[in-house]
Amino acid sequence: MAPKSELRGSHGKTAGPVLTRWFGTENLHRLDTYVKKGGYASWRKALTQMTPAAITDEVKASGLRGRGGAGFPTGQKWSFIPRDMPGEKYVVVNADESEPGTAKDRYLMENCPHMLLEGIAIAAFAVGANQAWVYIRGEYDRPYSMLTEAIAEATKAGHLGTDIYGSGYDVDIRLYRGHGAYICGEETALLESLEGKRAQPRSRPPFPAIKGAWGRPTLINNVETLSTLPWIIENGGAEYAKLGTEQSRGTRMFTVSGHVQRPGNYEMEIGRPFRDLIEGMAGGALPGRRLKVFWPGGSSAPVLPAAMLDTTTDTEELKRLGTMGGSGGVIVMDDTYCVVRGAHRLLQFYAYESCGKCTPCRIGGNWAVRAYERLLAGEDGPAQLALLDRIQAGLQNGRCLCGLGDSAGWVIESTMNHFRNEYEEHAHSNVCSATGAMAVA
Amino acid sequence: MSTLSEHLLREIRELPAKFPQLRSAVMPALDLAQEEVGHLTPEAMSEVAAALNLDPGYVEGVATFYTLFHTGPIGKHRFYVCTNLSCALRGANEIHGHIKARIGVEGPEEVSADGLFSVEPVECLGACEYAPMLRLDHAYHYDLTIEKVDALIEARRGAKV
Repeated sequence: MAPKSELRGSHGKTAGPVLTRWFGTENLHRLDTYVKKGGYASWRKALTQMTPAAITDEVKASGLRGRGGAGFPTGQKWSFIPRDMPGEKYVVVNADESEPGTAKDRYLMENCPHMLLEGIAIAAFAVGANQAWVYIRGEYDRPYSMLTEAIAEATKAGHLGTDIYGSGYDVDIRLYRGHGAYICGEETALLESLEGKRAQPRSRPPFPAIKGAWGRPTLINNVETLSTLPWIIENGGAEYAKLGTEQSRGTRMFTVSGHVQRPGNYEMEIGRPFRDLIEGMAGGALPGRRLKVFWPGGSSAPVLPAAMLDTTTDTEELKRLGTMGGSGGVIVMDDTYCVVRGAHRLLQFYAYESCGKCTPCRIGGNWAVRAYERLLAGEDGPAQLALLDRIQAGLQNGRCLCGLGDSAGWVIESTMNHFRNEYEEHAHSNVCSATGAMAVA
Repeated sequence: MSTLSEHLLREIRELPAKFPQLRSAVMPALDLAQEEVGHLTPEAMSEVAAALNLDPGYVEGVATFYTLFHTGPIGKHRFYVCTNLSCALRGANEIHGHIKARIGVEGPEEVSADGLFSVEPVECLGACEYAPMLRLDHAYHYDLTIEKVDALIEARRGAKV
């Protein structure tokens, strides 16, 4: 675990009410500390006093939505699993956190791996699975070894394994390491990878709930989503639903990165404005600088200009503004950096990470990168603007099997919408107002 | 005479038992091969394929899809420098450029003359609150400065002798 001084985000006096409530406690990653705090009491309660249906009802009542990016209602997702179908069912944990600007799952796993394991056990029991696979990105060496130790501790103490708490129920949690591919955050690509293939998204239906990992019914949930379950079982779904807004219940983790004084992983009740997060918790702009733009939910979420800092984190409000809460990764950029250059960097990312299965995404991303390169080099700028506009439209609106292409299109479209002036300057006079210098590619 | 050692091949043949289906063993197997050989040569991939009863082309297809598999030589210590936006906003490109200059390479395919180092700019590594950051020898290094990077290089040069 990170030494306390290294903890950047909610902990100790600044801990949030749900996920980070115990963060900052020494050795929280160890089983004895976690149990002393009250850990695994929810799992015991769920397994020995509740039925799977009752657990699912509590989660439905909580209003919890998936925290990986798509925001699908968790309880509803659980109810798609055909509980009575004979044979193996799986829970697959999406710990492939790789949306640019997002580090909160790492923060949760490194500080409290048992909270995730407890959540996995609850979810597995609720959907009738005896085996769970944590698909963890290959670069997460420390979370991987911490989870390995935590599983061993919890199994030895009887919280996992066979005949847990004398109930006759078994659950086995295993780890599977990714090998560096953003696309694996997409749940069907993740399943392909787990099955030992190139990670290319599947066409749906069938949905993973019916035909998921190794052809069996599979529940896929994100690390943060699962880590929230122990609190919900302990306090009840209704109590959780008191937090947040009508459409977005509870709290969630935000990673604030880029041009702020205190980058970190912060737990905040949903519905509060981004200003509280960026200027409050993260300390606002660096001395002498002014914030210009922020990505509200990972690089895939269309940008908002700093003038819109009072926008709240409510799902519906973000949707009305044409963006989303996404992965909770809030990237902040100030007036010293060029928006066009930032968009160019992100398009390089989407082009590189395209799995190549769908043509618009495979071709469009690379095409956009070349247009950005020419725009930034001052080569026939107006033509590049027109081209970028066509490419972004071609990347969007369900032309691909997954959202990667759409995301690339949104970066172009939203930065062009809000910062047309910076694009025009590059296109028409080869000047970058952000740096005051002549643009150089 | 095979590229992979006998005991490694035995270990690879035992991997499928850990998974519901055999194919899931391919990436853990490639991990073992890469660790032993240094990178995934065509021979190493063929031997992995044979050990798992898979088509060599299939195994190569998997190996070439993922960033963490290398089909060409890499340094004993490879820097994976995050250059995505959150890190770029805090100086990642300067850090990446400095490492290239210090180890004397121009791109990710090159290895330093002493064989010790290579460097690759990579996408977001999920530690954005510590930007700029990198991964080296299975560990993350945070809040990078030119001095910190120099120290990482020197420590590994010193360890060679």
